[in-house]
Amino acid sequence: MECIDPRKFIRMVVLGLDKEIVGHPWVWICSMCTRCTYVCPMEINISAIIYEARNLWPRKERPKGILGSCDMALRNQSGSAMGTSEEDFEWVVNDVLEEVQENQPEWKNLKAPINKKGAHFFLSQNSREPGIEPEEMAPLWKILDIVQADWTYSTVGWGGENYCMFLADDESWKHVTSNTILSAMNLGCKVYLNTECGHSTFSVWMGQKRFGIETDLEIEPIVKYYAKWIRQGKLKVNSDWNKDLKIKFTVQDPCNLIRKSFGDSLADDLRFVIKKCTGEDNFIDTFPNKSNNYCCGGGGGYLQSGYNEARLKFGEIKNRQILETKASYVITPCHNCHDQIHKLSEHYNAGYHNIHLWTLIALSLGILNENERLYLGPDLLEVNLPG
Amino acid sequence: MSKVIGSVLITGGGIGGIQAALDLANSGYYVYMVEKTPSIGGVMSQLDKTFPTNDCSMCIMSPKLVEVGRHINIKLVTLAEIQDVQGEKGNFKVKIFQQARYVDMDKCIACGVCSEKCPIKVDDLYNKSLAKRKAIYVPYPQSVPLKFSIDPRYCLKLTKGKCGLCEKVCPSGAINYDDKDKTFSINVGSIILASGFSAYDPSGKLNYAYDNNPDVVTSIEFERLLSASGPNKGHIIRISDYNEPKKIAWLQCVGSRDTNTCENSHCSSVCCMYAIKQAIIAKEHDPGLECAIFYMDMRTHGKGFENCYNEAKDKYGIKFIRCKVHSVIPNGTAEKGQLINYIHEESGQYQSDIFDIVVLSVGMEISEGEKKFAKKIGIELTLNGFCKTETFNPVATTKKGIFVCGAFQGPKDIPQTVIEAGSAALCAGVSLVEGRNTLNKTVIIPEEKNISGDRPRIGVFVCHCGINIGNVIDVPAVRDFASDLPFVEHVADNIYSCSQDTQDTITNLIKEKNLNRVIVAACTPRTHDPLFQETLLNAGLNKYLFEMVNIRNHGSWVHKNYPEAATQKAKDLVRMAVAKVAQLLPLKEARLNINQSALVIGGGISGMAAAKGLADQGYKVNLIEHESKLGGTANHLYQTAKGESVEKGLLKMIHDTKNHENIHTYFNAEIKQVNGFVGNFETKIVSDRSSETISSGVTIIATGASELKPEEYLYGKSPNIITSLELDRKLKEDKDTLNKINCAVFIQCVGSREPERPYCSRICCTHSIAGALHLKKLNPHMNIFILYRDIRTYGEKEILYQQAREKGVIFIRYNVDNKPKVTKVQNGLKIEVTDHILQTPVTIKADLLTLATSIVPAKNEQLSQFFKIPVNDDGFFAEAHVKLAPSDFATDGVFLCGLAHYPKPIDESIAQAQAAASSATRLLVQKTINTSGTVAIVNPSFCSSCGVCISVCPFNAPAFAEEGQNSGKSEINPVLCKGCGVCVASCRSGALHLKGFEESQIMAMIECA
Repeated sequence: MECIDPRKFIRMVVLGLDKEIVGHPWVWICSMCTRCTYVCPMEINISAIIYEARNLWPRKERPKGILGSCDMALRNQSGSAMGTSEEDFEWVVNDVLEEVQENQPEWKNLKAPINKKGAHFFLSQNSREPGIEPEEMAPLWKILDIVQADWTYSTVGWGGENYCMFLADDESWKHVTSNTILSAMNLGCKVYLNTECGHSTFSVWMGQKRFGIETDLEIEPIVKYYAKWIRQGKLKVNSDWNKDLKIKFTVQDPCNLIRKSFGDSLADDLRFVIKKCTGEDNFIDTFPNKSNNYCCGGGGGYLQSGYNEARLKFGEIKNRQILETKASYVITPCHNCHDQIHKLSEHYNAGYHNIHLWTLIALSLGILNENERLYLGPDLLEVNLPG
Repeated sequence: MSKVIGSVLITGGGIGGIQAALDLANSGYYVYMVEKTPSIGGVMSQLDKTFPTNDCSMCIMSPKLVEVGRHINIKLVTLAEIQDVQGEKGNFKVKIFQQARYVDMDKCIACGVCSEKCPIKVDDLYNKSLAKRKAIYVPYPQSVPLKFSIDPRYCLKLTKGKCGLCEKVCPSGAINYDDKDKTFSINVGSIILASGFSAYDPSGKLNYAYDNNPDVVTSIEFERLLSASGPNKGHIIRISDYNEPKKIAWLQCVGSRDTNTCENSHCSSVCCMYAIKQAIIAKEHDPGLECAIFYMDMRTHGKGFENCYNEAKDKYGIKFIRCKVHSVIPNGTAEKGQLINYIHEESGQYQSDIFDIVVLSVGMEISEGEKKFAKKIGIELTLNGFCKTETFNPVATTKKGIFVCGAFQGPKDIPQTVIEAGSAALCAGVSLVEGRNTLNKTVIIPEEKNISGDRPRIGVFVCHCGINIGNVIDVPAVRDFASDLPFVEHVADNIYSCSQDTQDTITNLIKEKNLNRVIVAACTPRTHDPLFQETLLNAGLNKYLFEMVNIRNHGSWVHKNYPEAATQKAKDLVRMAVAKVAQLLPLKEARLNINQSALVIGGGISGMAAAKGLADQGYKVNLIEHESKLGGTANHLYQTAKGESVEKGLLKMIHDTKNHENIHTYFNAEIKQVNGFVGNFETKIVSDRSSETISSGVTIIATGASELKPEEYLYGKSPNIITSLELDRKLKEDKDTLNKINCAVFIQCVGSREPERPYCSRICCTHSIAGALHLKKLNPHMNIFILYRDIRTYGEKEILYQQAREKGVIFIRYNVDNKPKVTKVQNGLKIEVTDHILQTPVTIKADLLTLATSIVPAKNEQLSQFFKIPVNDDGFFAEAHVKLAPSDFATDGVFLCGLAHYPKPIDESIAQAQAAASSATRLLVQKTINTSGTVAIVNPSFCSSCGVCISVCPFNAPAFAEEGQNSGKSEINPVLCKGCGVCVASCRSGALHLKGFEESQIMAMIECA
């Protein structure tokens, strides 16, 4: 592992060793999780300096994985880093929707609106689901249906990811973010609702400020709304299904959602939602947690930067921390955390599973269909099935 | 202007307030001390030991507490806060809110029965909630006033109208549930703010794992754990399971030097030293204990501190790890304990360790309430909420007539607080000189009865001390036993011998029964001797015709399981006391006049400040300066750390000194001889004008110190290498040259913290950083490097350090074993140093190298002999007590200030000069001094003139008589004698006696024992 610590990095900056910094791959290994900044007595924003250091690299020489994903998003109006076009997205959504309506009769009126003018919520969608595991989208639609949310996808700017930010390419970051914000504004939405994806949420939330994109949209993470809907009684989750099973759950605090943006109040919301679904006693918190939680090792473009060995080594701390909780499931309301922790469990043969929050909510509501249990372990495949 | 009122109000009853109150009350002013809690004592009363000497905190503080509590000119207003201040200097109207105590202070005899019976247990805040107390309580056993109070938040009677037990059991009817909060106003001439600090609260900070984790404690909690009077009686335990810890870690700078997790950009000044102290004491409890202190810069900048730091490392094996710890992680998988990850300093490697206890060295801050109050009464505050002051007026707030001392002025330790207290007292006193002796009270003592030739008539009073003694010892039996002893005329037993009504009874009985000797068998003479002696005085008896027998501490407390044996012991002790008392004679206290003038030696900043402080009160001051001008070292300085012009401040001081009608200055003066002692010094001097003898009642030593001219780093071999003072001169006179510099380097600790001069020179870090900022201001593009060992910008000076980093000054830490190398190259200097983080060599091409050289004391040996005042190993004068008498000498009548004491900046020098003047005032105001009657005396016919007594006496009381029939024999100066008896024990000829402890008296006790 190309080892260097933030202290040394800052020192090199202080002493003006720009050449050495630009030549050092560490800037692509740093996951920009800002755990260092969180406790730095002088609040030195190390990840901002990393960003600038990445920016010093010739664009072409930056890691291919990140570069490719950014360029892919610039190809069409969808903003998808996987290159899924507006038409393809529309087709996949409708296809999945029809399948649910047909196979799950209780959801025959389920909706997945696209380009609905005047909808309250504009929902972003990470490309991973429509691209690779489309059935994963349905649980969230059901949740939104239950709370009677007035929401819409958009063919323009639906892509809930932004690798241009990781590439430290300001212009492209701005382009992707402006594209999606404008799309939401054009539809007349009030709230820009970010799907369970940390970096995407951060890129929109921070990008709007950083580039001074003028908008009246409220840019919010969906976890906050899950908690709100439960508190309002709209989302009647309960933990009865786990009363006897006593399956243990823990949580990952995505840096982009908690430490870097919405803080401990969102971490508390996250725990509130999980406990409501699993039962108070079946939630085991990690230590450290919330804003001081460990980085999973998947952020900052790490998943695409090519340093896979370093990344898994980096994740060792996270893996050990999860194992210490003895929980069987980790709730990961972020796509990068989700992917990384999934790999950690495999790599270290750790045996825990990790799922999105929508899966847990749908499970506890008894609306999670058989084919929507991709990430659940055998112990939960049969539990609380609909009907 | 309205009439000047001769009283002062002091807010806060901590050590600062206490010292200021005593100084003022002993120099002719009446003092109101307003304290928030039920008892005075402040944070110092909670400390176990004090650094760097590890004195027991309570032991050194308790006499001061008692003195304040008993002082006729100090009025304690407890459970009270100031609400508003109106008026102006000389006449303020202060509105005070006082909470109800629900206990009548006049009636409460502090027996403790109420507390024993009270059914409500609540968190004991004195013990930082690590223990419980009752709803009716005294904060701690030595509380002053020692009066109970009811906590209305918890009392069942007050909250629910139930219970009422305390009222039922109180033997003196002191409980008053109908007591009411009240608001009242008093008029005072001046105000001193001594409200202290709040400790930073780490609750809610995720990374310290402090919440809900009993094994992560704050330093104040740990102080209580260490204390013998603490929740675990000084036995260190891991609170979670009561096991003995094997490893303890201290994390420094928690709530200090941090603008991210809190808003405290200042350094709290004391945490490094208290962490070292706690680690040493913990090691003394258990030598097998492993202690580690995690720090950023080790700040041991005070007198004796660096030595203590070195001992902690070398003698005690305490580990010092330079790393700001990110997070404390409790209860790792296998082992119980707190996991700490850190970066190893030299290797740069990530390391982990597990500790049983983690102590968070929490910093000082000012509470929001205090800040709000200060603003309300028009006091300006600094960035971090401390009271704003000026360097040349270090204890004056921005409002005239209101002064400040202690941690409210800025984070500081006890000696600095005591110094400022003296300074504030002086300034408050000077502002009210017209009101002096107008409001203070004096005790009127009846004429002493002549008892010579009278047969002893002894009165014996045996005390129950509530149930403290009576529960174990059969008090009536002891009383009856005493009545049969020889010469005993009267016996009695009292529930509380110390209560006011018992005092009156004893006074009357002495008169009625014509008693001429008195014995009280009760508690300890340490606290109660003066009280009963006063009772004798009130009855017209010589106060030395009294003896106390301690049947509580030495009886009922230690033998509580053996009541019969304890009763027998009490009888034995009383019998011995009676045997002694029968032989006691009245002792005389010599009285001598104090010359009402002062001599100040040294005409620098400190000397001038001290002289002015005394002269402004009307005392004549002779100021002697060995050079031909005033100002001393300050003549070479550019600006203060606060950015004020030193020249401007200095010129004003010189002007004030030269034009003061009460100050007479001698230049080019040298002391030739010193005779006399406190009250009457005769100092022979030779000056540019004459040779003469100056008489003075007091002498203040302000002889200063100087800058080291180093021999290393090529100093003197290149015009580009200068000292700090030489840089100041350039900043004053030669900015053009400085403007042209491309790169400037500073090297710190030149000559300091080395075997030859192990102390830290305290001011150099701040001075260099201020210098660097001046250079950056001249030329923002100048490259500036400061090569240092630890940056010691204590207090709010830390802000300068932060500014320097923001302006791009680069700090490189060097190791003392690998010092920077300086070589001359073409057009400048080459400086090589190893970067402490990258561990790589750095070469700097510099145009200017400034060496921050150490401050070296003047040659003080001769002065030391003249005034019999000691110097320490480093060559600085040694004060009477490091903590509580930093400006006094053990030799009475001689005082100390400025650099002669230890390196310090201008504000601290002026404060200490004013404190020395305050101490001197306390003495001068009395006009006469009474010596103690309990002094040694020489029988000259037995004296063999061996001189042992002269060499062993710590107070210079014995000397060979120079004339008369006993010439050549030792004689004791009763003015200087403290009655310790060391000379008596050391005299091989049996020539020495201690009055009141005569051999015959002691033998009489032994014979009947």
